[in-house]
Amino acid sequence: MSVYHQMGHDSINLVDTKELSDFAGAIISPVNYNEAQVLQHIAKIRHRTSFEWLFDPQLYYPRSDRGELPGWSYFPSNVDTVDISSEAWWSGVVAGVVETCTRLRPSAACSPAFAAPVYTDDYYAMMVSIGNEFSGALRGTGIDPVQTVIVNLADLSQQNRAMEIATVVSRTLAQSIFLIYVSDTAPRREVKDPTQLVGGMRLINALERAGLPVTVGYSSSESILWKYAGATHLSTGKFFNLRRFTKTRFEEPTEGGGQLPYWFEENLLAFLRESDVVRAQRENLLSERSLANPFAAGILGCIGDAKAWLGLSWRFYMYAFCDLESRVHIGQTPVPDLLLTAERNWMQLEDQGILMEEPRNDGSWIRPWRQAAAEARRLLGLP
Amino acid sequence: MEAVAIEICASAGFRFAEKVGEGAFKQTFLVQDQSGKNKALKVFRPRNSLARSQRELDAMLRCNHQNIGRLEGVATLHHGGVDYTYTIEEYLGGGTLTKRIAEGLLDSTQLRGLGSALIDAVGHIASRNLVHRDLKPDNILFRNDRITPVIVDFGLVRDLSSSSLTKTWVLQGPGTPFFAAPEQLNNNKDLVDWRTDQFGLGIVLAVCGFGQHPYGREGDGPEDVVGRVIARESPSPEFLEWVHSSGLEPLARMIDPWPVARYRTPELLQYAWNT
Repeated sequence: MSVYHQMGHDSINLVDTKELSDFAGAIISPVNYNEAQVLQHIAKIRHRTSFEWLFDPQLYYPRSDRGELPGWSYFPSNVDTVDISSEAWWSGVVAGVVETCTRLRPSAACSPAFAAPVYTDDYYAMMVSIGNEFSGALRGTGIDPVQTVIVNLADLSQQNRAMEIATVVSRTLAQSIFLIYVSDTAPRREVKDPTQLVGGMRLINALERAGLPVTVGYSSSESILWKYAGATHLSTGKFFNLRRFTKTRFEEPTEGGGQLPYWFEENLLAFLRESDVVRAQRENLLSERSLANPFAAGILGCIGDAKAWLGLSWRFYMYAFCDLESRVHIGQTPVPDLLLTAERNWMQLEDQGILMEEPRNDGSWIRPWRQAAAEARRLLGLP
Repeated sequence: MEAVAIEICASAGFRFAEKVGEGAFKQTFLVQDQSGKNKALKVFRPRNSLARSQRELDAMLRCNHQNIGRLEGVATLHHGGVDYTYTIEEYLGGGTLTKRIAEGLLDSTQLRGLGSALIDAVGHIASRNLVHRDLKPDNILFRNDRITPVIVDFGLVRDLSSSSLTKTWVLQGPGTPFFAAPEQLNNNKDLVDWRTDQFGLGIVLAVCGFGQHPYGREGDGPEDVVGRVIARESPSPEFLEWVHSSGLEPLARMIDPWPVARYRTPELLQYAWNT
């Protein structure tokens, strides 16, 4: 139904970009900003009355990925010496996060959660228990509690695991879910295991049918499958390549392509490097939608003039993501059709011997995505 | 045990009437108190684990609902060198739901009334963080008006706020298999919550109106039906057709193989049932 801006490093200007005003709100990143900066951001966007701020305490890896976190009052000073799997310890953390929320006044707040080495039923029961305590503590504040759920996508290839997890987390007292899929897929690569994808779709579908609207966090192009399964909201950010929620998610990419600009091409469901944009344009494979993107002309102009377009690429992606989500949501762009078109276009490129600059950027994920969509259609009765 | 009951009556000033029921863990006797009111005297077998009896009694004491059996007193009698725990409960003289079904299936109006009262009771049990885990027609009695259903026998109750007494469940987990949910039968303890009772109640209501277990197929014996529930198959097409023609669609959702696909809260279930 809407997309939230997953804030990352230095992204407040994107939040306030006029062309990106269809984003329903933003998810605050305390790893990237201190409290004073966040308060400034909130003040800056105050003119947008319907804009929603979601606060995510981001305690996923409190012993390693800290960034600005230690400066926040809720960040526990004893995190390195305690057993962080202790529910009693998390009670103290909940109180701190609630206190911070009452100062920031976001529209909604995600329950504190940590990424576990192993995601057992007991882990999920504990996350729900923490979330329910959080929900209780937020009662009367006007801030909507959101249950955070972290799921290892690989676990979902086990038959029934999605339904088991959904059963436990649907005990939440919160009225919605913030779902994060953890995957060992390398950054900037697509998930290609159809069984994992079907499991991911099944989990989302089960929660939505249980009356719990799901926001899938840290999304990228695979999120069309989550939308197909019924996800109400998605969130994404300019560092789409960090969507895997790997431990490096808040770091600047350092290896090849890290700071290179990408063009998200709907016709291929792929991220294209500059030279590939030129190839695709030559083959008339840039979609009308992409060319109508308010940042497309600027990018193509920059490419022609050999100028940098990294900032434009972020904006282009954010706009394209929001636009695609909206069309998929209202049924204007059916996901099976989108996938079929992408596969045909990749086959056309293959037939013509046109190769992308990145060796792995070959469209090989489209067939597993189509398989996943077809299986989910059968299992879940999707259109 | 009857001798124990008679001695309890003598010491408490009750009049012993007759034995009216017997289960694996206790015997039930009809007695009258000093004012002549009928009461149920339940005497726990001494070999029964004290913790288990205590769990049942604690659960009953935590509940206070017109459709749940009322516990009026608990005590212990030393008899023949053995301590017997016993309870005094209200006497439910309207017979069991099993007996009612034997007289004929319930029509959809009767079923709606019965379901509404029992959903309310299951919701009350859930609000106490308890799961009954053994809802079946034998454990649903009627008051003397023969209209008001009452859930009894909390012998298998599970307190979700404490660790389970049984670390290893017996084969297929506790509960009467014919009315048990897949998560009980598959021993998925982590998946047991109030929605497990929702499933059991759904099966009970289905049997009352449809006359058969909703997962059963023609020629199935009880073990085949239980096998289908364990395998998380779908209810039979005949049952689903009956549900639609009777306007009782919520029943289909109540007995979904997966708890997450059932009604999430008792309030949502009650709302769906009554609209």
